[in-house]
Amino acid sequence: MGILELQRINKKYKNAEKFAVQDVSFKVKKGEILALVGESGSGKTTLLRLIAGLEHPDSGCIWLSGDKIAEGRTSVPAHKRKVGLVFQDYALFPHLTVLENVSFGLHHTNGNITKQAQEALEMVGLHENHHYYPHQLSGGQQQRVALARAIAPNPKILLLDEPFSNLDAVLKDQVREEIRHIIKKAEITAIFVTHDTRDALSTADRIAILHKGYLQQIDSPKNLYEHPANPYVANFFGKRNEIIATPTVEGFYTPFGFIKDSRSAEYHNPVRLHFRPQHAKILRSEEQHLSGKLYSVSYYGDHQIVQLTDDEGHRICIRTGPNKKFTGKDWVFFTLERFGIEEVF
Amino acid sequence: MEKINLKYYWWNRWTGFALVIVVLVTIPILTLITNIFGPPGSSWGHLKENLLYDYFINTLALLAGVAFCTFLLGVSTAWIISSYNFPGRRYFEWLLILPLGFPGYIMAYTYTGLLDYAGPIQSILRNSFGITVQGGIIDIMNLPGAIFILSVSLYPYVYLLARSSFLQQSKTLQEAAALLENSRVRTFFKIALPMARPAIVGGIALASMEVLNDYGVVKYFGVNTFTTGIFRSWFSMGDSSTAIYLAAILMLIVFAVLFLENLQRGERQYTSRSTLNKPIERSQLSKIGQWSLTAICVCILSVSFLIPLVQILYWVFLTYHKVINEEFFILIYRSFSLALISGIVIVILSVILLYALRLNPSKWVKGITKLAILGYAIPGAVVAIGIMIPVLGLDKFLARHLSADGIGLWLTGSLSVVVFAYVVRFMAVGYQPIESGFQKTGIHINEASRLLGAGTSKTLFKVDLPLIKSSLFTGILLVFVDVLKELPLTLILRPFNYHTLATKTFDMATNEMVAESANPALVIILTGIVPIIFLNKMIRMRQV
Repeated sequence: MGILELQRINKKYKNAEKFAVQDVSFKVKKGEILALVGESGSGKTTLLRLIAGLEHPDSGCIWLSGDKIAEGRTSVPAHKRKVGLVFQDYALFPHLTVLENVSFGLHHTNGNITKQAQEALEMVGLHENHHYYPHQLSGGQQQRVALARAIAPNPKILLLDEPFSNLDAVLKDQVREEIRHIIKKAEITAIFVTHDTRDALSTADRIAILHKGYLQQIDSPKNLYEHPANPYVANFFGKRNEIIATPTVEGFYTPFGFIKDSRSAEYHNPVRLHFRPQHAKILRSEEQHLSGKLYSVSYYGDHQIVQLTDDEGHRICIRTGPNKKFTGKDWVFFTLERFGIEEVF
Repeated sequence: MEKINLKYYWWNRWTGFALVIVVLVTIPILTLITNIFGPPGSSWGHLKENLLYDYFINTLALLAGVAFCTFLLGVSTAWIISSYNFPGRRYFEWLLILPLGFPGYIMAYTYTGLLDYAGPIQSILRNSFGITVQGGIIDIMNLPGAIFILSVSLYPYVYLLARSSFLQQSKTLQEAAALLENSRVRTFFKIALPMARPAIVGGIALASMEVLNDYGVVKYFGVNTFTTGIFRSWFSMGDSSTAIYLAAILMLIVFAVLFLENLQRGERQYTSRSTLNKPIERSQLSKIGQWSLTAICVCILSVSFLIPLVQILYWVFLTYHKVINEEFFILIYRSFSLALISGIVIVILSVILLYALRLNPSKWVKGITKLAILGYAIPGAVVAIGIMIPVLGLDKFLARHLSADGIGLWLTGSLSVVVFAYVVRFMAVGYQPIESGFQKTGIHINEASRLLGAGTSKTLFKVDLPLIKSSLFTGILLVFVDVLKELPLTLILRPFNYHTLATKTFDMATNEMVAESANPALVIILTGIVPIIFLNKMIRMRQV
């Protein structure tokens, strides 16, 4: 049973030309972490605000744990939804202490408010700083206060808006793990928005890709990466090479040489072969392999990216180990370990 | 579990409150619009033939004259302050705003006193230089005199807006101009002035609104304008229809000024948004150059503030024993409480309007809040007429249905109507600081509170209001000062024989007690200076 369900949600802002969110439907299972991924303007933040009740759909329904919370232009106000949200800028109340911030949402609950707030702070490891004011804390600590404040009232679902965007690269890896750990420990269903695919791949149980307001694909990180539903999704997760090929009975003729592959028999018209840079392997010998003219080599410390061109100047990228030497070489030989085939229309 | 209901998202009680406020506040305008189509009053024919032309010419001449003079005074002081270093610059920066605390009508009596036969200027000329002015008077009680008085008391509007525009212009732009071998003077005319145009015209428009609102100066100097015409029709002739006609024409002139201001501004946004911008670098002049700038500022400040203030103080010294008694303190108490109540009411209403907009930032809510602060552009006399007519009607209705003999005035001439009129006229004054306060706190904090289960009211009181405390205070203070010096509206709507400091000053001055009038005038001036100094301090603290 999904705890959250969106049915055919449409949203257009006033004065905007295009829809921010178009015909989006998906379900979120209890306890899972879903990442909403897309470029800026893809509608991911709008979707988060629609779920929170800070924006309202033009049409479509939203269900939260069995209750309909939005239908067309009618809607349950944000303060009655029991949804937690961690803002990108944290939005801590500057005039309240850490403890008061975390207690703020606990007034509807029974029992000892201070104790519950303390527990939430303990969960994020900040129980010793409870009497501080937000401006006395570091950015990372402020974020954890915001997280504790959102979790404390025990929301039905936790939303996080770009939770990793304000952190520097070193801190990011650590925070990603920490936040995932806290959310899983609290057994909360969570949705977070990000433009960084690495955040999504490493933190989420499932990922929804948005582009121009449309939901492109929603699946587990592994499936998205290996079986993208369309070229947009495929390109979104890193570079993808595409070469045009002509099928024969035995294989494909490409500008880089002939590839022997039995799948070619299924095709009659030219096709597009695609592969990721790491799925091509550079070889020494001149056997039955593909070859391209060396265009450039970029060194990245733990790997190198080699660019090759065909006679017409089309370029492909190949990822290789950091120690391969290319000095004095004009031609590079390679083979494809894995590639996909798409028909060209 | 609590049952949750779906409801239309744009509806909440704040939108409802805002709608009610807007309907109430626009009553005067609606009254005028509906009454324009009524038949003309008995005196309209006479007025049209003999006076209307005068009203037009005088009002337009006043507008043009004040626009020109405030432009010269305001822009030159703003340029000096923002681009040169000279002794006392830091003080002149805010001293030059002080004339705003000096109401025009008080300036008018003061200058008349200064320049008349027994006044200090003629006395000095006579006794020290043996010069006797022909006919015994230096006459400023005419149209040019009114232009002079209004200009020296209103130029700070242009100064303030022009200065902030000059300061926003980036250093790089000026440097680019200098590298293209432009002199400082050429840079001013070719770059700084055109870029500051929207701000300068905005300042002149504000000054023009005050000119159209003025009653005290033109009445005292015997210059016939639309405002004096409204008073004449209403009080002397008892002809409300004619007063409405005149008020409507005056309102059209106001809208014309606003339209022109909008037209010139267009879609242009000259201010650069880049955060890299450094303010322009002040150039260093020679010692003589520096001191001459100081001298210019001293002159302008003396004419627009210091000399009249000294005259007022002298008058107070002469007459305080006659005027300052128990009655005077009652006057102060009444004036202050009226101003304070108005300030608090306006701030509460502004918070409601802005909170409705905060919760539902849609175009139509924005529209109604804009409508609610429109009163600031409408001259006080027009507001007063627009309120008086429906209130009189309502009183007649109440009398017919509630009192046994069918007579009685419950609302007309009551203080609640005066406060209501202040709300209509000064809503914008309290509204603006609160608007910027809300903008500064950002919307996320409000949203965070609501997501934590706090309703809209709890969020307002627990989160939003505590964070804009200083804006609330500023709003009350600014309204307080404006109400304290307000004249035409109070004159029309005040209860019989009820005086505020402003009406008392006016009453004494027009009844041959100019020296005595300096006492209440001084209270108005001193309270008017407080927010200028206070706000200047706040701005300074933010800059640091």
